Amino acid sequence: MEIRPQPRVKISCQHISKIFIQKGKMKVHVLEDISLEVYDNEFVVILGPGQSGKTTLLRIIAGLESPTSGRVFLNGEEVQGPGPDRGLVFQSYMLFPWRTVLGNVEMGPRLRGISKEERRKIVAHYLELVGLTGYEKYYPHQLSGGMKQRVGIARAYANNPEVMLLDEPFGQLDAQTRYYMEKETVRIWEQEKRTVIFVTNNIDEAIYLADRIITMEGKLPGRIKAVYPVNLPRPREHTDIAFLKLRQEIIEASKLLL
Amino acid sequence: MFKAFGKVLRNEFSLYVISFFCFLLLWDWVAKEQILGRSLAPPLDVLKELHRLTTVKLAGKDLFGHIWDSTRRVFIGFAIAAVFAVPLGLLMALNRYINALVKPVFDIFKPMPPIAWISIAILWFGIEEASKIFIIVIGAFIPCLLNAYNGVRLIEPELYDVIRMLGGTRRAEIFYVSFPAAFPAIFSGLQISLSIAWTCVLAAELVSSRSGLGWIIIQGMRLTRPDLVIGGMAIIALVAWLTTLLISGLERLICPWKRGIKEGYL
Amino acid sequence: MAYEEVKIKTPLVIKILSAASIVTFFGGWELIVDLGIVPSTMLAAPSTVFKLFVVKLTDPNPDGALLQTHAWISIQEAGIGYLLSLLIGIPLGLFMGWFTVVRGIFRPLFEIIRPIPPIAWIPLCIFWFGIELWGKVFIIWIGGVVPCVINAWTGVNMTNPTLIQMARTYGASDWQIFRKLCIPSALPMVFGALQITLAICWTNLVAAELLAADSGLGFLITMGRRLALPEMVVLGMVTVGVAGALIGVAIDALEKRLLAGIRR
Repeated sequence: MEIRPQPRVKISCQHISKIFIQKGKMKVHVLEDISLEVYDNEFVVILGPGQSGKTTLLRIIAGLESPTSGRVFLNGEEVQGPGPDRGLVFQSYMLFPWRTVLGNVEMGPRLRGISKEERRKIVAHYLELVGLTGYEKYYPHQLSGGMKQRVGIARAYANNPEVMLLDEPFGQLDAQTRYYMEKETVRIWEQEKRTVIFVTNNIDEAIYLADRIITMEGKLPGRIKAVYPVNLPRPREHTDIAFLKLRQEIIEASKLLL
Repeated sequence: MFKAFGKVLRNEFSLYVISFFCFLLLWDWVAKEQILGRSLAPPLDVLKELHRLTTVKLAGKDLFGHIWDSTRRVFIGFAIAAVFAVPLGLLMALNRYINALVKPVFDIFKPMPPIAWISIAILWFGIEEASKIFIIVIGAFIPCLLNAYNGVRLIEPELYDVIRMLGGTRRAEIFYVSFPAAFPAIFSGLQISLSIAWTCVLAAELVSSRSGLGWIIIQGMRLTRPDLVIGGMAIIALVAWLTTLLISGLERLICPWKRGIKEGYL
Repeated sequence: MAYEEVKIKTPLVIKILSAASIVTFFGGWELIVDLGIVPSTMLAAPSTVFKLFVVKLTDPNPDGALLQTHAWISIQEAGIGYLLSLLIGIPLGLFMGWFTVVRGIFRPLFEIIRPIPPIAWIPLCIFWFGIELWGKVFIIWIGGVVPCVINAWTGVNMTNPTLIQMARTYGASDWQIFRKLCIPSALPMVFGALQITLAICWTNLVAAELLAADSGLGFLITMGRRLALPEMVVLGMVTVGVAGALIGVAIDALEKRLLAGIRR
């Protein structure tokens, strides 16, 4: 009998809670007792409607926010703050408008003191990965939304992070571009495997991409509702019976229109 | 025939041309008929006088000499103001303690129009160059500082997140995000400062000066030479406009990413 | 309960620094004059200025009028010029933004006047109006009308083109689109003009009064220089600053009230 080796735990969140003090002097309880584990090279999707705390959870894993209680571990070591071992892709792209595509993607390596020729090679490699070879000298304002997000992905990848974190990266794209980017995401991920935590509010996107889906409650404070392993072979079809069955199951369990 | 006429009237550019010529004709007529007394000189007279001044000297300088005097004052004052105000504005936005120290004093001085300082400037520096440059510095200082300050304060906070996730320290945040993001605002502050600087130099020259474009206008008034008055006004407008173009050109060079964004009604 | 009330405190250090800054400024100012570091012919100590302030509230000497009178005259001139700027500039800008004919007629004139600093008009104004009220009003107006026109024009240009197309499919005429669509769309920009025009008007007023007047705050400042009374100069400057700030606050409050219903 085949014994599969136990996958390593890459990210571990233990009893994370987060309470924000808003500018209007109000306390907002965003997350309550979140515990989850993400395994090496796994593609995990956190699925939830707006205002469910999922972005906050991602930012805590990224180290941009610190949890009010609970801890986050990466490779067994506690996360203390932001760092290049985690790459973050933002919903609104957040490219530096004053830098070219090259300037944006090379930012991580540049901050680490890598030489100019090395940086060029790195950038060329990752631009090819996301399909934007030849666009080095373009400025962000000259690119379409999909292209900008691909630059964002290349920029995060270029730093060779252990984990890729994506915060509703395709939320600002139209439906067609979104489908295209989902396919591209799978292709990129299969070419350069990384642990991925992907946040979205779109159930089809979640089932298309994920190895595992973690659903959040629809109201604050955010809690984990359920976990769904997705064992469908890739590339997946939105019209596949198994796909639709899982979709139905998740929708009924959540009692929400996702 | 009327259709053609109607078409001309609807074309914007031809309207500009017609309107401009009507304006010139009106000006010429009002000047010659002395409807506003002897205050206006006909356009051609103004041009002739300006041409004359390029060769004949007025109070020791020809027209270009006066233009240079005014422009020189503007640039010196403007440069001094920018060199101190922009870094200070950036520092205030980046450091809470410097902000707490400087802002209260700044807020006290902010509502005072720079020209109100002319009298104090004359008390302190007499009527030499220093007093004029002083006023220009005072006038140009505030917009430069304010724009640098706001340029940093209004940066999208998530851009700092990006740098931190890529492994940047606070230093990296400042050099790679705060400074470049503030450039467009700094440039628009420079433009505003520049036009205030021109107003200040004019005011200073009108009050107490022996050369410069403002002085030409005042001479025109004292000698009842309307051609000098209007000529001076026209040259000032021209030179001020050219310096504006200079800053715009500089901005386009340093901030090429702004080319995609249109501003105003142009 | 997911929501609770909590207070936020500004760090004490910041408050102390701000207070210390102001105290040091005024204290230092007072000291350098009192100790003779700067001669009292060149700068007046805050205490001297304050004494003059109290005196001028009731004594018209030596410049010819009470402080309030000067202030009121200045505010009147600025106010009239300001209102004229708004009344002429905003409609003009709105029309120029939409109607080609209006734009064709007025744009050359506008573009010629625009780069001329308002102060440059002073000699002409003295000739046309003397040093009376209307000369100053003209200078203020010529400076203030420019941002009004520009903002109103830009505001009209920013009307959502989709809405315009939609209105046309309903058969709306140019005039109707202008009235019902362009003008309301331009309102935020127009309100933006209020503050900036005020600042410009106030600045030009002071300039005009410094050079050609026999009353008003600018005149007070000039008199201070002529009589070698730096406290009068400083008093004039401070009053100009304070008055300008107060009017700005008033306009701000007015704007907030008028815009309470309109979403930006």
